[in-house]
Amino acid sequence: MVRDPQKLHSASVEAYDIADAPELKSEVMTLNVGPQHPSTHGVLRVVVDLSGEQILRLTPHVGYLHTGFEKNMENRTYTQCITYTPRMDYLHSFSHDLAYALSVEKLVGAQVPPRAQAIRVMLNELSRIASHLVFLGTGLLDFGALTPFFYAFREREAVLDLFEWVSGQRFHHNYIRIGGLKEDLPPEFLGEVKKFIVQMPARIDEYEALFKESPIFYERARGVSVIPAEDAINLSLTGGSLRASGVNYDVRKAYPYAGYETYQFEVPVLHGGDIYDRMVIRILEMRESVKIIQQAVERLEALGPGPIRDPSPQISLPPRHLLETSMEAVIYHFKLVTEGFHPALGEVYVPTESARGELGYYIVSDGGSMPYRVKVRSPSFVNLQSLPYACKGVQVADMVAVIASLDPVMGDVDR
Amino acid sequence: MQKLTQLLDQARAKGWEIEEAHGNTWMVVPRTEFKALLAGLKEQGWNYLADIVGIDYLEYPHPKPERFCVVYELVSLPGYKEGDGSRVFIRVYVPESNPSLPSLTDLWMGADYLEREIFDMFGIRFEGHPDLRKILTPEDLEGYPLRKDFPLGETPTLFKEGRFIDPDAFRAGLSGNKGGMTGWRGGSRKGYQDVAAEVQKVVKGGN
Repeated sequence: MVRDPQKLHSASVEAYDIADAPELKSEVMTLNVGPQHPSTHGVLRVVVDLSGEQILRLTPHVGYLHTGFEKNMENRTYTQCITYTPRMDYLHSFSHDLAYALSVEKLVGAQVPPRAQAIRVMLNELSRIASHLVFLGTGLLDFGALTPFFYAFREREAVLDLFEWVSGQRFHHNYIRIGGLKEDLPPEFLGEVKKFIVQMPARIDEYEALFKESPIFYERARGVSVIPAEDAINLSLTGGSLRASGVNYDVRKAYPYAGYETYQFEVPVLHGGDIYDRMVIRILEMRESVKIIQQAVERLEALGPGPIRDPSPQISLPPRHLLETSMEAVIYHFKLVTEGFHPALGEVYVPTESARGELGYYIVSDGGSMPYRVKVRSPSFVNLQSLPYACKGVQVADMVAVIASLDPVMGDVDR
Repeated sequence: MQKLTQLLDQARAKGWEIEEAHGNTWMVVPRTEFKALLAGLKEQGWNYLADIVGIDYLEYPHPKPERFCVVYELVSLPGYKEGDGSRVFIRVYVPESNPSLPSLTDLWMGADYLEREIFDMFGIRFEGHPDLRKILTPEDLEGYPLRKDFPLGETPTLFKEGRFIDPDAFRAGLSGNKGGMTGWRGGSRKGYQDVAAEVQKVVKGGN
């Protein structure tokens, strides 16, 4: 099977050399899958051209969840925009909050206190674990393995409970504010996180045992839909899928943000580039996330209580008790709530590493209290264009597994 | 960051404008030369096209050479071959009269969706793109939503007996100005009668 990238957009049987079974050459059949299909991870519609059971061409159709977040954000103040950011990638929503806040903080020159940085890193990694757990659960479900789904969702529920405790919401946390956090951690929260990271490594081993050693899974996933490193970069693939192709690119290491350079962790890299490695690499990444959380918890305990927001009254709301004694605080409060702050004229982009790949907010400021233009470099959207490439020549039964292994979240694709 | 330094030297020699802010570097490249430049850069190891951003500068307070701008974000991927992690933003201005650019899909397969998104949102055509279709918005939506002159979508509110309020006209009637987020620009309310008259005018005007 020749996979010439230049032929991605043509679909005739002759264009593809089906070397392994020339006698099976048949007429091209076009099959529509989705948008409402249980195994397309949201509302993704794909049209596949089949020759027998082999995929000649696959065309994704996206946009069913398009809600115009970018346009809406142009008409909301910088603080109000935090309502929109977690709603894009609803599985690793903390990463969107963080990426947006980092960009705006650069524009306004906010200084985030170390305690807030450590809390951000801890929660970001917790959220990454929850996202990878959904990836594993639903991904293996697409292979027909029902059990891992329930196991993975047990631990995910524990993480979501932690998030509900700290922010009041399970999915759309809105816990980050420009310059810091909404409020401090509840007392005893770190104790619960410690309990979680004590039991998590054993649980990760359990998940690994559930599928990694299974000969059925190995036969099914090894060597299927290989994306070589060269083509993965050419397709702008990022995240775990790129690292499974042998490219050591993790934004947390390459362009550190939020203090990631001060944590000790490895970037797992595999070289197969197939479905198997794309599944396994998430297991390895969860182990590294547990390490980072461990260090963040230790750091938070060493730091003790402290400020969690930039003290500048031009960016953060004044503390509640000041409103009763200080006229100035009331004025700042009023200005911030009714109008918001005004970053200087300019443009900014900060890359971050979400569970799906490179995520960043390109923000253009015109000096007003609302962003002039927000462009989300969402990893799912960019990664999804590898799908036609990755599915070429694959059996139609493996298509859902390929979709699962690229880990798109449709809210993040359509925005 | 050796690659970035080299590139900036090249840009200075050609007299292209360079902007630096918040740790990012922008380079303004003429529309006629950027495709050749990017093809050359790809050969030099700028192997990863991270993003393409479309911007409409129609209402921007600071004057810009043209209405539209497309920003290409190129990275020399660290951790692959001789990549050193340089990251540059290449800015190409596109005039409103002829919103088109050469496509990069023959260099990077990853430019496919990114260019389609800009075509969908801004109406900038990418010549040579093999499959330039709308990607996010519905097929029957007319116009380009992220252009600044495209209104923020609002549905007219329908009341009993066929009476309805068109949000834009409602706000125009309240304030006498173009509607913004709330439409309120100070001053007193004109009262419902005037608003109804405004709405009737809009409806009869075939809007």
